[in-house]
Amino acid sequence: MKLISILGLAAILAGAATAGNADQLVDIKARGKLICGTLGTAEPFSFQHPQTRQIVGYDVDICQKVADSLGVALELKPIAVEARIPELIQGRVDILAANLGYTPERAQQIDFSYSYFVSQQKLMATKESGITTLDQLAGKKVTAIKGSTSEQGVRRLIPTAETVTFQDTSSAYLALVQDKVDAFCASELSLVKLRQQSQAKTPMVVIEKSLFVEPWGLGLRKNETAFKDHVNSVLANLAGTGEFDKVFSKWLGEGTLFNIKRDFAIEAIKG
Amino acid sequence: MGYVFDLRGVLSGQYLDWFLIGLATTLALTCAAWCLAMTMGIVLTLIRMIPFRPLEWFVALYVEYHRNVPLLVQIFVWYFGVPSLLPRPARQWINVHHGEFLLATIALGLAAAAYVAEDVRSGIRSIPKAQNEAARSIGFGYLGAMGYVVLPQAIRIAVPPLINQTLLLFKNTSLAMAIGVGELTYRTREVESYTFKTFEAFAVATAIYLTISFGIMACGAYVGRRLKLETV
Repeated sequence: MKLISILGLAAILAGAATAGNADQLVDIKARGKLICGTLGTAEPFSFQHPQTRQIVGYDVDICQKVADSLGVALELKPIAVEARIPELIQGRVDILAANLGYTPERAQQIDFSYSYFVSQQKLMATKESGITTLDQLAGKKVTAIKGSTSEQGVRRLIPTAETVTFQDTSSAYLALVQDKVDAFCASELSLVKLRQQSQAKTPMVVIEKSLFVEPWGLGLRKNETAFKDHVNSVLANLAGTGEFDKVFSKWLGEGTLFNIKRDFAIEAIKG
Repeated sequence: MGYVFDLRGVLSGQYLDWFLIGLATTLALTCAAWCLAMTMGIVLTLIRMIPFRPLEWFVALYVEYHRNVPLLVQIFVWYFGVPSLLPRPARQWINVHHGEFLLATIALGLAAAAYVAEDVRSGIRSIPKAQNEAARSIGFGYLGAMGYVVLPQAIRIAVPPLINQTLLLFKNTSLAMAIGVGELTYRTREVESYTFKTFEAFAVATAIYLTISFGIMACGAYVGRRLKLETV
């Protein structure tokens, strides 16, 4: 009985943290800062700048634009991949800009802003393994980051494969290099970066065909209509004035490691 | 919006299966690592009893390494470090034969063995030296005196701390999650990341861990009563 009451108390406390905010937009302005949850470990979206030690990137710039539009300061809070949604729901961050792919399950828990990035989810294998197509992965071991959409995508789209998940990119990558798994599923961008880094020692192949395509949105708490409308209007405005393209090309365009063109629109994510 | 605590979401369909698979893996991992820990622990104690300095140093070094290096690091060393020293065919054999389970068993078992060795050694040291000398004087060899006279009494004294080690070992299996062993905590995290029912998922895991822990403690109390000797 005691256990149940303790758990009940914990649940009530969690509830209390989320309740009470009449209007988040008003709260943020009153507080004078926007708390943005971001990964801090995912180049070029959110990562520590090697010289300044500051967390910078595409996600950070988008958050900065939202903070600027409200006339408040930006506070970045680094969070782990699987803690993103709980941190948001429990009110420890105002907004998530954290490689957050849209899924119907997530959309039941939180709201998504307009898509601000569309990620190609691909698979990478060692050159030595001879794996070059998705069909070859049937019955093989595939790794992904714990709690990511890549993990769920592998389960859904390659049901015969065995998924082995790790806490972070480095462990999953090490498992691939050491042949403990046959392939690694992640966004094309992170795979391109890993492939580049491992070129000399262990050549890797990124399978050409995407496993699936994933629109990313900023994560917002449910029932915060005013804040959500504001964030969406900021994104739409950035796209309209060309500011958005500047941010995109700064981190992902020509002259960067990734060298890609924007081929998606800033629009509501269709569920 | 308040948080609605609802266990049904995590205790139905595939999520219930995941919990059960996780529980089975945790129990298998605990049993395998426990057997390794007990065997290795007793062997280490016996080696330490041999009056030959380098062997004593070896065991002391073994115990210090396993007691002072974080268990998670030891698990990573066994999973990522040790296999890369092996020849390629051996590495591939490990990778296709559930290497993560095997290597987690070794890491957990060897670490627990260090504690078991210390517990058994303190049990042995609590048996008066004269008993060993008496056994030797009536013709037992080293192993005979140990096996028939000293160890049976020492193990009885060591039972309560060994039950403690078993409990710790059982809970430490959750660290194997970090190398992708699909044990209870790993599955709980999975249920959580699919349902976002954090409290519910961990409440179920906590209840399972508690139940098994109480079971281990009850077994320990029973074994302790059965083994009790009035003379010791």
